[in-house]
Amino acid sequence: MAYLSTTDFFEDQNFFDRWRRNLKGDLDLSWMHTKTEKLAATPENPRRGLTLRDLDKNGYGFSEMPEFVRDNRSFAPRGAELPDGLPDVQAAVSQKGEVWAYNTEGYYEEAMTRQWNATLDVPWAEMAKAELPDEIARAYAQLLTFLTEVEMIATDVPAEWMGKLNNNFMEVKNFMATQVMDEARHAEVFRKRALTTGCGLMKASPYNEMSLKQIRDADSFAEMSLALHLVGEGVVLTLFRFSEYIAPTDADKKMFRLIMQDEARHVGYGVQHLKWVMRHFPEKREVIHKHLDETENMVFGGGYALEVTEPFIILAGKGLKKENIEQGAKITALFQMKQIEEYFERLDKCGLSERRKRSKLHNALEFTRAALQEAGVLA
Amino acid sequence: MAFYMEKDFFEDVELFNLTQRVMQGDLTLRWFDPKTERVCLTPKDPARGLTYEDCNVGSYGYDRLPELIRNNYSMAPRGSELWGKLPDLGYTLNRKSEVWSDNVSVLYEEAKTRRWAPAVDIGWEALAQAPLPVPLEIAMAQMCTFLQECATVAMGGASRWIYSINQEFLELKSYLCAQIFDQGRHLEALRKRALAGGQGLKRASVAAEQALKELLSAESYSEASVGVNVLLGSVLLSLHRHLAAVASSPADRRLFSLMMQDTARMVAYGSGQLRYHLTHQPHQTEFLHDYLDNAEHCLLGLIGNQECLEPLIVLSGGGTEPEQLRRGGHAVQRLLTQLVAEYSERCERAGLHGRSTRSRLATFLRQLAGE
Amino acid sequence: MSVAFPSLAFFQALQTLMRQEELRFRRLGFVDTTFGVEVLASHGAPWRCLLTFEVFECREVAEVASFDLTEIDFVLTGDLATWVETMQNIKQHGGADAAHSLNTLTHFGERMRVLYDDPDNRDKLFRFQESLQQFFDLAGRLDIDFPATTTTVQLSA
Repeated sequence: MAYLSTTDFFEDQNFFDRWRRNLKGDLDLSWMHTKTEKLAATPENPRRGLTLRDLDKNGYGFSEMPEFVRDNRSFAPRGAELPDGLPDVQAAVSQKGEVWAYNTEGYYEEAMTRQWNATLDVPWAEMAKAELPDEIARAYAQLLTFLTEVEMIATDVPAEWMGKLNNNFMEVKNFMATQVMDEARHAEVFRKRALTTGCGLMKASPYNEMSLKQIRDADSFAEMSLALHLVGEGVVLTLFRFSEYIAPTDADKKMFRLIMQDEARHVGYGVQHLKWVMRHFPEKREVIHKHLDETENMVFGGGYALEVTEPFIILAGKGLKKENIEQGAKITALFQMKQIEEYFERLDKCGLSERRKRSKLHNALEFTRAALQEAGVLA
Repeated sequence: MAFYMEKDFFEDVELFNLTQRVMQGDLTLRWFDPKTERVCLTPKDPARGLTYEDCNVGSYGYDRLPELIRNNYSMAPRGSELWGKLPDLGYTLNRKSEVWSDNVSVLYEEAKTRRWAPAVDIGWEALAQAPLPVPLEIAMAQMCTFLQECATVAMGGASRWIYSINQEFLELKSYLCAQIFDQGRHLEALRKRALAGGQGLKRASVAAEQALKELLSAESYSEASVGVNVLLGSVLLSLHRHLAAVASSPADRRLFSLMMQDTARMVAYGSGQLRYHLTHQPHQTEFLHDYLDNAEHCLLGLIGNQECLEPLIVLSGGGTEPEQLRRGGHAVQRLLTQLVAEYSERCERAGLHGRSTRSRLATFLRQLAGE
Repeated sequence: MSVAFPSLAFFQALQTLMRQEELRFRRLGFVDTTFGVEVLASHGAPWRCLLTFEVFECREVAEVASFDLTEIDFVLTGDLATWVETMQNIKQHGGADAAHSLNTLTHFGERMRVLYDDPDNRDKLFRFQESLQQFFDLAGRLDIDFPATTTTVQLSA
C-alpha cells in the first residue's frame, strides 16, 4: 500500500467512543462555529443559473486567490477551514500562473451546457442512406481513422495532469474534466462514423503517433498546454473547420460543427492560459519559445503523415482523377497555410508576436508558399 | 522535454521533396487498400441511436479483445491496420481483466444521456427564497464541504489511471472519462450548494482525508477500483440517497437525487470490474480480501468522522434540539447498518465470497450499537 | 375518464402520458430496467404489475401473478394504504413531496421495500431515480378512483 492513513480507525478508541456518543445524540458541534466566511451567492442572471462566476466572492473566489498556494495541500475545497493533520496530497503544481487562464470558469460553464451526445445527436440514419463514391468513402474513412487515433491524447494527458494540480485550482480541474469527456466523445463519434462508411477503419498513422508521444511526455503543465491546447488542438480546430467544408454529406457537416464547438473551447483555454502566463510571468517568455521550437518541429514533420494529407486532397478535389487531385492539392495547400497562419495569429494575441521572426515554421511557411506558387499550385 | 522527434524536420530534404511531390499530385495512396474489415454499421434501435454496443462487431468489437494486449502500445484505434514504426506510449495496464467490466459501454451511453448541469437544473432561486433553518443550513454546508473532499477522490480515482490504460480498452476509458466528468459536476454542485446557502464552506475533515488518501494511493488498479468505486462509492451512494430522503427542500432533494444517479453508475462499474476481474483471475480473490482487510477501516474514517457524522445526525433529526439529535442518531445508526450490509453484499455478489464474515465492519457496528 | 388504482389501466395511463412527454423524459436520459410493483392488501392476494422501460419510454406494462427476482431488476412493494397515500400526495402536489418520493419511501424499507436478487440490478433504482420518480409523478394528472377503504378492499385489475 502506497500510503497508510495516520490512524487505523478500527483501533482508535477515542474515535469509537466519540462515534458512540454522537449516535446517542451527544454531539460536539464545533464545526458549526468555524471561522470561515459566510456567503449567500445568487445567480447574477437567473436564466444562466448559478455559475462559478457568481461564486467568485472574497476568499472563496478565484480572483483573489494568491499566486502561490501555501496553505492547502489537501483535498479540501478552497475556502474551507483547514485543521492540522490534513494529508499532503503531493500536488505537483501549486502556482496559479502555471495553470490559470482568463475565463476558465466561463469555458467550464459553457462546456457543461453545451454537452452533446454522439449516439443520438448525429443523424446516423441519414448518413447510412448516403452512398459515397468508393474513393471518397475510402479517403473519408482514412481521415476518420486519423481523427479517431489522435483525439484521446487530449483525454489521457489532461487526466494525468488533473491529479497533479493543487485542489485550490478547482475551476481548472473541472474544465479539464469537461475536456476529457469532450475528447472521449470525439474519439467515439469519429470511430462510429468510420464504421458507418462501408469501409471501416483504415491505416494507423505512425508519424502522428510520434507527435502524440511528444505531447504525452511533456515535463511541465505549461509545456503540455502549449503543445496540446494551443498547437495541437489549434491545428486540429482549423482541420475540423476545413473538414466541415469538404464533408461529403450535410449530416457530416453537422457532426463537424458539433465537434468544432468543443475544440474551440479547448483552444480558447490554451490561448487564454498563454496570455495569462505572458502577463503574469514575462520571464517565462524564453522558455516558451524553446518549447515552441520543438513543438513546431513536430507540426512541420506532419508532412510525413500522408494518411492525412492525401485523403484531404481527394476529399477536397472530390475524386481521384488528375483534375480532382490538382484542385484538391490547391485547396489542401491553402488549408495547411491557413492552419499555420491561424497559429501565429493566436500567438500574436497572446503577446508573442516576435515568434514569427524567430520561428523556423514561419520561414517554412513563407518558403512553401513561394515554392507552391512557382510550381503553379498557388496563384 | 522527455521526448524529442527523431530529427529536425526543418533540415529534412526528404520531407521537402515528399511534400513537393504530393502537392503536385503524385500521391502514394499507401493507405488506400488497408488490411482491415469493411463494415457499414447502423443503429439496431434508431430510438437509441448508434451505440458502442452496435459497434461491437468483428475485429472492431470489444468482445474480441484478447486478455493480453501485446501488439499495440500506441493510440492506433482497435481494428485499424498497424504498420510502420508505431511508438510505445508507455501504457502499463494492458490486461483486459485488470480493468474491464461487461457493463462499461452501457454505463458510458447511460452517463451521456443522463447528464445534468448544476447551474440550471437545480432550483437555486427557490432555495434562496425558502432558506433552511440556520442549524440545518450549517449542517448542509458542512456536509457539502465533506462531500467535495470525497468527490475530489472519486474524480481522481478515475483520472489517475486513464493515462496508463491501453487505448485498446476504448469503451472502458470512455466510461472513466464520464466518471471524471460526473464527479467534476459533483464538485461544482456541492460548492454551489454550500455557497448559495448563506453559510459558506465549513471544516475539512482530517479523518476523512486520511482515509481518502489511503484509498486513492492504492498500488494496483484492482485495489484502487474496489477501494474507490465500490467502498467509497457505496458510502457516497448511501449518503446521497439518505440526504435526498431527509431533504427538507425540493432543491436539495433534486440535487442529491441527481448525484445519486451518477454515483450508482460508479458503483455499478466498480462491482462489474470486481466481478470480471475475479472471474478471470480467481487467484486474486485472496489478495483483494487482504487489501480490504486493511483498507476497510477507511470506510469508518469516511462515515464516522466528526465533519460527516455530526451534520448527518443534525440533518436526519431535523435540528439540534436534544430530541432531534437522538432521532437523528437513531436514523444514522440504521443508515450505517444498511450501508455496511449493502457494501458487503456487493463484494460478495461480485465474487469476494465470505467478505461479510471476514470483514471487521459488522462487528464494529455491533459494538457501536452496544450489542 | 377516471382510472382505478391499483389497476393495469392506471399504469397504462402513466405509460401513455410518458409517451406524450417524450421530450421531458428524453432529457432525463436512457432508462433501461424491468421492475415490479406490488400492492399488498390486508385481505386477499397482492396486486402485481411488471413495468419494462427501454430507451426513453415505458415499453410494456403487464399484470402478473408473481415475480421471478432472478429475471427482473427489483420489486417495489408496499401496502395498499401506503401506495394510495403516495398517489394522493402526488395528486395534491402535482408530484411527490419530500416525504413521498420513491427514494424516501424505500430508503429504510419502512413504508415500501425493495426486493431483489442481484444488488447490481437493484442499484438501477438509483441509476434511473429521476426518470422513475417523474413517471410516478405523472399520476398527478390522472383522475384516480381509489378503493373506498384501503384495508378491506379486494384488489382486482
